[in-house]
Amino acid sequence: MKTQAPARRARALRAGAARLAGVVAVLWGAATLAFLALALIPGDPVTILLGPFTTASQEIRDQIAADHGLDRPLHERYLAYLGRLVTGDLGESYQLQKPVSAVLGEAIGPTVALALTAVVLAVTIAIVSAVLTAGREGRLRGLATGWELIAVSLPSHWFGILLLTAFSFQLQLFPVVGGVGPQALVLPALTLALPIAGVLAQVLREGLEAALAQPFAVTARARGLSRRQVRLRHALRHAAAPLATLSGWLAGTLLGGAVIVETVFGRPGLGALALQSAMNKDMPVLIGIVLVSALVFVALSALIDAFHLLVDPRLRP
Amino acid sequence: MILTRPVAAAALLAAALLLGGCGSPAEKTTETGGGAPVKGGSVVFAVDTEPVSFDAHVSSQDITGTILRNVFDSLVSQDAEGEFQPWLAESWEVSDDLKTYTFKLRKDVKFTDGTPFDAEAVKVNFDRIHDPKTKSQLAASLLGPYTGTEVVDASTAKVSFSAPFAPFLQAASTAYLGFYSPKTIKENGDKLGAGGPAAVGTGPFVFSAYAKGQSADFTRNDAYAWAPKGAANTGAPYLDKLTVRFLPESSVRVGALTSGQIQLAAAVPPQDVQGVTGNAKLALDTQEFPGGNYSLYLNTSKPPLNDEKVRKAVQQGVNVDAGVKSLYFGQYKRAWSPLSPATEGYTNKLENSWPYDEAAANKLLDEAGWTTKDGDGYRTKDGKRLTINWPLLPAAYVKDKRDILGQAFQADLKKLGIEVQRPQDDIGTYIANVYGGKADIADYSWARSEPDVLWLLFNGASDPRKGGQNATFLADKDLTSWTDEGRATLDPAKRADVYGKVQERAIELGLVIPVYTPTAVIGRAKAVNGVAYDANAWPLFQGAWLAK
Repeated sequence: MKTQAPARRARALRAGAARLAGVVAVLWGAATLAFLALALIPGDPVTILLGPFTTASQEIRDQIAADHGLDRPLHERYLAYLGRLVTGDLGESYQLQKPVSAVLGEAIGPTVALALTAVVLAVTIAIVSAVLTAGREGRLRGLATGWELIAVSLPSHWFGILLLTAFSFQLQLFPVVGGVGPQALVLPALTLALPIAGVLAQVLREGLEAALAQPFAVTARARGLSRRQVRLRHALRHAAAPLATLSGWLAGTLLGGAVIVETVFGRPGLGALALQSAMNKDMPVLIGIVLVSALVFVALSALIDAFHLLVDPRLRP
Repeated sequence: MILTRPVAAAALLAAALLLGGCGSPAEKTTETGGGAPVKGGSVVFAVDTEPVSFDAHVSSQDITGTILRNVFDSLVSQDAEGEFQPWLAESWEVSDDLKTYTFKLRKDVKFTDGTPFDAEAVKVNFDRIHDPKTKSQLAASLLGPYTGTEVVDASTAKVSFSAPFAPFLQAASTAYLGFYSPKTIKENGDKLGAGGPAAVGTGPFVFSAYAKGQSADFTRNDAYAWAPKGAANTGAPYLDKLTVRFLPESSVRVGALTSGQIQLAAAVPPQDVQGVTGNAKLALDTQEFPGGNYSLYLNTSKPPLNDEKVRKAVQQGVNVDAGVKSLYFGQYKRAWSPLSPATEGYTNKLENSWPYDEAAANKLLDEAGWTTKDGDGYRTKDGKRLTINWPLLPAAYVKDKRDILGQAFQADLKKLGIEVQRPQDDIGTYIANVYGGKADIADYSWARSEPDVLWLLFNGASDPRKGGQNATFLADKDLTSWTDEGRATLDPAKRADVYGKVQERAIELGLVIPVYTPTAVIGRAKAVNGVAYDANAWPLFQGAWLAK
């Protein structure tokens, strides 16, 4: 017993170090890919930055190039860029006259609020839909699978406008103009949540049905648990595990969806910022968004691992 | 920056606009609903783009100028007749060589941070714009060959140029040459792009708050008493508050307007116009943009469009009328000249002078030697197919459904046996091809309240390979000398003459296919009265009021 604890600690430490190295590798890869993708766009970077319709003189072009180091060779720019990244400096936006970290900092809050609300909504809707209909036949199930199919296949851009037309323009329940506060979060979060809920519900139902067919479900019933108790306490836990494999997809959907939702609803956030920076060729900001996204993916996969441990005791050391 | 039609500089001269019976480019005010102005209330104006930078001295975006007009005054204003009127300057003198402009400033003007507006403020602002470190994308070019400002005394500023610079008064009337308080330049110079309360001007409104991705708020400047001469409201604005809301999605803007959540919506697309006009509570304000119409520019530097006959065939072989009418539901006017009718110097002589004529186009192509056809039905000469390369801008830059309009023209030209290729690459490749002279057609509009835009579009020195915008790649002697003459004279008759000739010759040589006149379409709640539109077709809110 006495030797076990340090061994376990060492194992945990090693696992932690490996995990950290993985994170660093992922971030470095993402940073490098983003840098290369943007650096290899054909054409003179300053001209691209200014766009075709400008009357900026050569003197001003030179000043812009010098300010952002665009006049130096690619490898020098890459090394300088990595050096800055290591110290946590994401550089300065080409267009906004502000450090990228400040730009991201402003945008991240509204997006996190939107994404978290959407996830909570999506998970709630999915659980309700799946638990109510798993293993059953009939009209309710037909309705549930029907809406899931529609939610998954509708373009969320169109969906958002539909919600706005009904609940904001017609019924005037939610403002599009106020734009701030919890009330203004409802429709955007719903737009983002519904397609996710659709997929989650389908996966969850399939998992529930598989779990309910397992011997332990029969045993639990035999011990006198009600149908509902079996579903909620035992089967749901089993069915939740496959959701973890969807985490990457979920993160992608949240970030990609934010671009559309934030544009439709005129909300601030990372999605709107990503779109604007891409259009303005604001490379430092774009790279910053790529890095933040990579971080989100890494963090999410760590969270999902923890979630696995929570729902499946067999995985615990 | 990019998504813009820089509303740039340029010269003056009011009288020229009367020429050819063209529309006035100047200020128009919406009806006042019969009542007297009421003080109070707030208005939300939804726009489709958000400024990248709020620094008027840096940005070249229309939207930046439009929004900052609320907090900036100019030395002079351009009135409904296109003439320049006193504003922050009570009077001015221009030297005979057009190199020195001396402004006598009002003495009662204060910035909203309490500091006085004086000659020193003019100097500080113009020097800042001119400094390459400011990285101005537009304002610096509005200052042209600026050499400096001399503070003669507190209320006299003498602005000097190294060469005759006729366009300066018009430039000085734009928001891009507006004035920040020298105090805020000193304290917040590097933060002005971020918008908000740091943007201290002398204007009718105070930039009170900015939420990125959301909205910008403006509150009344109670001390305002220096509206331009001729303004309907000479004092402080009637509105307590003006909010500019950024709503990029057009159906959302229009929906918010029709449901009464906002009072004005910019950029109402043609297909949504009926939703506004069909609503008894709403009105539609349309203003044609001055400057360069949306046109196709034909590259004369390489085959096949180096042949004038082929260019003329393309010009007459696209059905502009049909395309513009069906796509824009009659909301945008079809164009005949490269210059917008809302610009001084527009000539109406070109109207109906080059109608769609398929037979004539075919005849021209036959004459040019493109007489044989290949298996796909395209014309050939010496075994080579008649192919035109017309790159599409990346999707994010395409506006007014110009890509779809292009498809109609592509189909028209196919009937003539001309193949039109429309590659859509990234912006870097687009710029390299189109501005490097490798493409055959470039298409754009260029808003600017001045016929000097024709210099930019057709002067031989305005080579796109050197930062110009003459995508015809032709250094025509006449076009060059006429546009040079136009920018170096203050004589209205002379300017009208040379600019008229430029428009006619550009059409005659088949250099350009004017398509439509870009038009600002703003949906407005009828309860909002007194909104004025300036020479750039931008809304002004100083005289706006809300009916109770």
